[in-house]
Amino acid sequence: MTQPFKSTRNARFLVILLAGLAALSGCGRSEPARYHLNMVEMTDKGISAQYQVEIATILEAMFGTPDEPFVLPETGLDINKLRLASGPAWSDEEGTNHGLYRRHCAHCHGVTGDGAGPTALFLNPYPRDYRQGKFKFKSTERAAQPTAHDLREILRQGIPGTAMPSFRLHPSREIDALVEYVKYLSMRGQMETALANFVMFQLGEGESLSQYANVYVDELLSPIAEGWAGAEDQVIHPDPQLAPPPRNERDPEALAASIAKGRELFYGTKANCLECHGPTALGDGMTTDQDDWSKAVKQFAANHDQVTPVELGALPPRDVRPRNLRLGVFRGGRRPIDIYRRLHAGINGTPMPAVGPATPGATGTVTPDQIWNLVDYVLSLPYDATTQEPALLSNVRERL
Amino acid sequence: MMHSVRRAAALLLAACTAAASVGCQRTLPPDQEAHSGNAQQLRTYLMSSSTAAGGAGAAAQPQGTGWATLRGTFTYQGDAPARQPISITKEPEICAPGGGAVLDQVLLVDEQSGGIQNVVVFLRRASRVHDSAQPSTEQVEFDQKNCLFTTHVQTMTVGQPLLLLNSDPTGHNASIDQYSFNQLIPANESLVYAPPSEAPFPISVTCSIHPWMLAYLFPRDNGYVAVTGPDGKFEIANVPAGEELEFQVWHENATGPGNGLVLDTPEAKELGWTSRGRFNLTLEENAQADLELTVPGSAFQRN
Repeated sequence: MTQPFKSTRNARFLVILLAGLAALSGCGRSEPARYHLNMVEMTDKGISAQYQVEIATILEAMFGTPDEPFVLPETGLDINKLRLASGPAWSDEEGTNHGLYRRHCAHCHGVTGDGAGPTALFLNPYPRDYRQGKFKFKSTERAAQPTAHDLREILRQGIPGTAMPSFRLHPSREIDALVEYVKYLSMRGQMETALANFVMFQLGEGESLSQYANVYVDELLSPIAEGWAGAEDQVIHPDPQLAPPPRNERDPEALAASIAKGRELFYGTKANCLECHGPTALGDGMTTDQDDWSKAVKQFAANHDQVTPVELGALPPRDVRPRNLRLGVFRGGRRPIDIYRRLHAGINGTPMPAVGPATPGATGTVTPDQIWNLVDYVLSLPYDATTQEPALLSNVRERL
Repeated sequence: MMHSVRRAAALLLAACTAAASVGCQRTLPPDQEAHSGNAQQLRTYLMSSSTAAGGAGAAAQPQGTGWATLRGTFTYQGDAPARQPISITKEPEICAPGGGAVLDQVLLVDEQSGGIQNVVVFLRRASRVHDSAQPSTEQVEFDQKNCLFTTHVQTMTVGQPLLLLNSDPTGHNASIDQYSFNQLIPANESLVYAPPSEAPFPISVTCSIHPWMLAYLFPRDNGYVAVTGPDGKFEIANVPAGEELEFQVWHENATGPGNGLVLDTPEAKELGWTSRGRFNLTLEENAQADLELTVPGSAFQRN
């Protein structure tokens, strides 16, 4: 008599159990990963849903999907490296790791490379959004792309003072694959912008993007790919005649004299470093400006009141902090040559301006000699006691 | 006993299910997905044509002969909106001499005539270019004085050197994000910069030392571009006649995509004004067209 009753109960229990299991396993294997459109950009440029489908389709044709990347020969990218970096994370019987990007990078930089992975919001600074093709720490002229070597060094060294760790322990094959994948996500993002711009600025009323299939490669992709291929020619090489010898070989008096000159420049009106880095170089001079990424988000918020950028997937904008130069932590590297390049070209995507020549051959704001003086002063700052400084700061007091 | 354990287990599972399904939710905004079938077809096309030059493209427009001139006036409908004072947070002795309020340049309307200044009108595509609109190599001066750019919207042709002047006794950094250009210009010094390519819309020039500083630079491949003066008037001379021309209208404070100026007035409708702020016109040879355009406050963000 109790038997059927009990079996109903058992059945009910089983159903709940199965539902529970199904729900739990569902989290792990949801739909295949896909790239997302930059909805802040699409909304800002007034790109309709119909054009968005066209743009997503063209991007898939040209770059594939996160599980199956594809590249046209014009990109110069190596599909074998991309295959190693793409797709879900797993290891084969020989111990070769696959899906490197999703294993190591996507949680911060996002599957699309938008710098808005699940952990991004908790990090300061935010992870790099690759889609603009703008990188801060590189050896090249300001507007140029980084070289493969630059990206490799970022992966090997990490970025001190940020959440970007070092991947030095990984075999170079894996690092090279990831470098290639970062370039790939960058080019894909730049192509997305190029297509959005094409819709916004070039298309006539009611015209379809597919009518212009002949321009995707020659007019839109090629200039992007050339920027990456030409990065090597844009590396900043200081004149070896003017470069000081290695630090341990330097005459202490000459070094002290150079530091003194650098200090004059730092606080003077010519190089004007104290405007942002502050009168004590603690990075507290200008604290209300943004980098290009946050600026774009802020601008969007100012121009649109129907929807917020955060609702469209952007991270809340933040003010950018000029570096505290007394910590001895230099994100782009602490070798004299690294500091020289930061000064020569400024830092792309940030308010840090260039003081070297704007174009090769032109006259810079300061001379290469003076850049080396500034390098010496900046590298001396971590060893320089702020408590002793005010007595020396006569030229600062004059200005304040 | 057995039952209550089961019930507890069932409840726990249900709770887990609920928690798990909540945890699954990603807060990504909805966006459009690719049409994979079309993507495959397109890839085949791109693979086959990526080495071959040319392609279909848009049909060539019929060309006319001779030249014509377009003039016009943009007039604000209603009372001129008030300019807002800028908060000068630095070096007031240089940036706000005399201590008076410095007003912004976001939307400049002439109180007498209602003319709107700094509206940009340009020809989107030129089938041919008259000698007078050919790119020049003459230097363009772009100055900064009292922590303001002396020209608010500067047009030029690609290839013209831009002399960035600083006439202030303090340093500025001219930053043109679009070109990744950001160069320090010390007090009373200058430097020359050549914008590398044509811009589709005016691009901003800022200074991070004085964050209120804002102007626009607009390098074009030809000279078919004009900015309205304080009286709201513009003139573009020697445009191709006898063929349909498409003009784009822009104002930094306009509400359209990319700040295109969108007009809905009867005279704008006659010109086929679009939701991106473009209009069409065919001019006869030697014609001197003159457009009178009234702009309601609703076309601007500030009204």
